[in-house]
Amino acid sequence: MNETLYGFHGKILDIDLGTGDVRTRPLDPARIAAYLGGRGLATRLFYDAVDPLCDPLGPDNVFVIATSPLIGTNAPTAGRGHMVFKSPLTGVIGTSNSGGTWGAAFKSAGFDAIVVRGRAASPVFIDIAPGRVDVLPAHHLWGLDIHQTTDALAAEPGPAGRPKILCIGPAGENLVRIAAVGNDKNRVYGRCGPGAVWGSKNLKAIRVAGREKIRIQDPERYRSGYDQALYLMKQAPVTKRLLRELGTSGLVELINVISMLPHKNFLDTIHDEELLEQVSGETIARTILERAGGCFLCPIGCQRHTRLEGADGRIEKGEGPEYETVVMMGPLCDVYDLADITRANYRLNELGIDTMSFGGTVACAMELSERGLLTAADADGLDLRFGNGPILERLAVDTAYRRGAGALLAEGSFRLAGRFGRPDLSMSVKKLEIPGYDPRASLTQALGYMTSPSGACHLRGGYAVSLAFFGGTKEIPRFSLLQSPIAVRNMQNKGILQDSLGICRFTGFAFDVGPWARMMSGVTGMDFSEGRLEEIANRVAALERLFNSEAGATRDDDLLPPRFAEVPISVAGQDRVVSREAQDRMRADYYKVRGWDANGRPGEDLLRALKIAGRTP
Amino acid sequence: MSIRVRFFAYFRELFGGKDRALDLPEGASVGAALDLLCDSPARRVEIFAGGRLRPQIVVMINGAGLPPSTGEATLLREGDVLAVFPMMGGG
Repeated sequence: MNETLYGFHGKILDIDLGTGDVRTRPLDPARIAAYLGGRGLATRLFYDAVDPLCDPLGPDNVFVIATSPLIGTNAPTAGRGHMVFKSPLTGVIGTSNSGGTWGAAFKSAGFDAIVVRGRAASPVFIDIAPGRVDVLPAHHLWGLDIHQTTDALAAEPGPAGRPKILCIGPAGENLVRIAAVGNDKNRVYGRCGPGAVWGSKNLKAIRVAGREKIRIQDPERYRSGYDQALYLMKQAPVTKRLLRELGTSGLVELINVISMLPHKNFLDTIHDEELLEQVSGETIARTILERAGGCFLCPIGCQRHTRLEGADGRIEKGEGPEYETVVMMGPLCDVYDLADITRANYRLNELGIDTMSFGGTVACAMELSERGLLTAADADGLDLRFGNGPILERLAVDTAYRRGAGALLAEGSFRLAGRFGRPDLSMSVKKLEIPGYDPRASLTQALGYMTSPSGACHLRGGYAVSLAFFGGTKEIPRFSLLQSPIAVRNMQNKGILQDSLGICRFTGFAFDVGPWARMMSGVTGMDFSEGRLEEIANRVAALERLFNSEAGATRDDDLLPPRFAEVPISVAGQDRVVSREAQDRMRADYYKVRGWDANGRPGEDLLRALKIAGRTP
Repeated sequence: MSIRVRFFAYFRELFGGKDRALDLPEGASVGAALDLLCDSPARRVEIFAGGRLRPQIVVMINGAGLPPSTGEATLLREGDVLAVFPMMGGG
């Protein structure tokens, strides 16, 4: 334990898989003061380490996983890691957050962040324990799925204690652009294709264990934030009981109430309510749920540990489905069979594929099929029409191994639709599939998708559903052109802070950043006032944007697919689109709110004002 | 006039079903409809605090939020569909 540091170890683990070089370098406390941890710190370390024009699947790509000073304390939900990389799906920054216990285990091994570069000549895994880091052969693991790999590595001799494992499955090995990294088996770093980045580096897994502790500088100050956070989480029904009782899929019927639940590749938002109920959180809880579960130090417990009985009486157990999985593989594909969705969810977790991008890509394929553009001959004889739920499991497996129609789906919806001459049928922004909230039902959500650094992501772009539901001071009109840019910046900034603090987004349903500011200040002894946190969020947003600009992204990449401007949905009796004019106006105003130039690039003056230094490799 | 009230999450258990038809006098408000529904202390305490709608309760009319200017004093019309649920998030 470093006797002069509070809340962090001051150590970055830096591994070059090409040379086999493993080194520990110091983490400057000024980096914590400027970037917090998690997403902020990982973005800074990534920016310093990578050429923005690198091939995402080449040896020059780099990935970084960072923890935060709160990890190692008893702060509720503080165990999350954040991974940043250049995405092979989008070509811009890939940024993904995951819970479970790995983040806490990694921190207890004595490190704050890991930077991985280069490409190993043959499959390897990284083994991390306090005072000892090895890059070891993984030939025996290559080809195994995520559950098998996790079990195999947990059983092998290694670091003392119960090791925690991140790994890829066959999808990552086969460079599927929507491949995920598995975490504790069923948690995932899902979006933007991190699994393919690991596969391209011949990296199968990272195993960690440790017992290193961190010190808290001002326990009383920390405690005041902690007590308030816990109290508020027990007051709010959503964190107190709703997510535990219903899981995230408790939103399915509610999102339909506000006409925001997409159907058939975003052709409309009209559902048969009786069918929809069959895939609701209530039905999951009543039929397939065995128990709720939680990540490290989580009092919320939204995880769905479920079981399915097959036609042959065989019982399968797994996790899910979550809201996004239900919607993207369900109604978006015109599928309302819970068993079909859940079974495919199990396979995707095992094989290592993002359920969201998979669902969006299958929905795109189904529309191409209905239009006669993608034929059975292209799809190994499979019937890809909307509503064919039983096919999902087969498609999941074929995608992981790039077989038949799976070879098409493995590229994601944008490349798939482009191959058949209709890129406009990919419902994506920056080539990342749009989540299960229709942007026509909220201009704030639309602008969030447009300006999210990683492409259409409800977490990086902003979660406008809360604005649609929550009353009081947080209420933002869903269709205000003028208020949406500021609302989106505020939502995105709050998300940046939550991702950088190493804590769960769902705490934000109970309280804002105030208690976190006190906990961070108490842990580190640094001043993290709410104003300082706001400055940090603006800094991280500008740095993400700077990377994207340097990687070649332009303002033209900040637009929705044409469907959302051309095909209306009905919301509360009114036809709604997000017209091109509305998009142009909101985009321009958002750039102004951010202090970026008219092309959406952070200028030199802003970078100076935010104290964003040039690269320091 | 007749309206329909839909319940979600644990309000289904609290109000004994997924939805309910209500007959109200012409010009009744959202608050009046909720008042009629809260016919037991257990129901009332979940929906109201100090005579006002609890901040963590969401009420929507025909898929839209209550207008901030009128809130629960918003007047209902024949055929309206109210959705009542605890504040929820996720996904």
